[in-house]
Amino acid sequence: MTIGVLESVEAWTPVVALRNSLYAYPLVNGVHILGVALLVGSIVPLDLRLAGLWSSVAIQPLWRILARMALAGFVLAAVSGTFLFATRATEYADSWLFLAKLGLIGLAGLNALWLIGTVGAASRVDRPAVRIAACLSALAWVSVLFLGRLVGYF
Amino acid sequence: MTGSRLKACWLVAGLIVACAMASQGWAHHGWGWASDELSEKTGEIVDVRLGNPHGEVDLKVNGQLWTIEVGQPWRNERAGLTDQVLVEGREMTVLGNPSTREGEKVLKAVRVTIGGTHHDLYEGRLPDAE
Repeated sequence: MTIGVLESVEAWTPVVALRNSLYAYPLVNGVHILGVALLVGSIVPLDLRLAGLWSSVAIQPLWRILARMALAGFVLAAVSGTFLFATRATEYADSWLFLAKLGLIGLAGLNALWLIGTVGAASRVDRPAVRIAACLSALAWVSVLFLGRLVGYF
Repeated sequence: MTGSRLKACWLVAGLIVACAMASQGWAHHGWGWASDELSEKTGEIVDVRLGNPHGEVDLKVNGQLWTIEVGQPWRNERAGLTDQVLVEGREMTVLGNPSTREGEKVLKAVRVTIGGTHHDLYEGRLPDAE
């Protein structure tokens, strides 16, 4: 049944047009990279700060900018990624690397929600749980990037 | 702050491992993965997947399944390689560069011939004596 759904996604007219397009596909691909760049580029320095580096720099102003940029990057990557997935839905659904990537995005997302609830509330962020979550966050999002890249090569 | 330094070290170590894993990836873009020698395969078309980033045709050659990499959409269209031509069950001959990785049955197509018609994807890579 799932295969049937994925096949009809691949056969949907806008998806067919994207799969066979000259400019649209590389453009959507570029948006995906832009999203990943904003997400990882914001979240890694923010996580390192939360993990305890650069302790003389205040967390809240950093958080205000970088958390938003990371979220914006995530939305760009997720939307463009959905379209890229749709062009080869059955193949991606069959790739364990892709499924591992989705699973890790889920875990990293839950971790991010916890961090938003904790650091966003801003009571006391200098504690072990926050540091561990921040380390996990950086590791998870960077791993998501590498998993995503590997999907194209296997 | 020694604890956080240690964690940062672990992070860097993780990154290095991930980079090492990634470098083992086999780029099927470009020609780096393919042999310099041209090789010809004739077989039956089993499956066709045209489109971005590049098309693939599964070809059954003497009972073995080969993945033939054809071009990106504009190149296939220029060569006249369409879903109307690449019909499952038809015989197809392909001249191209096979993967150098041992046991990997993947070939990057330079010329595809179906029903006596040549479809040249990379004219510059055809042997001069044609």
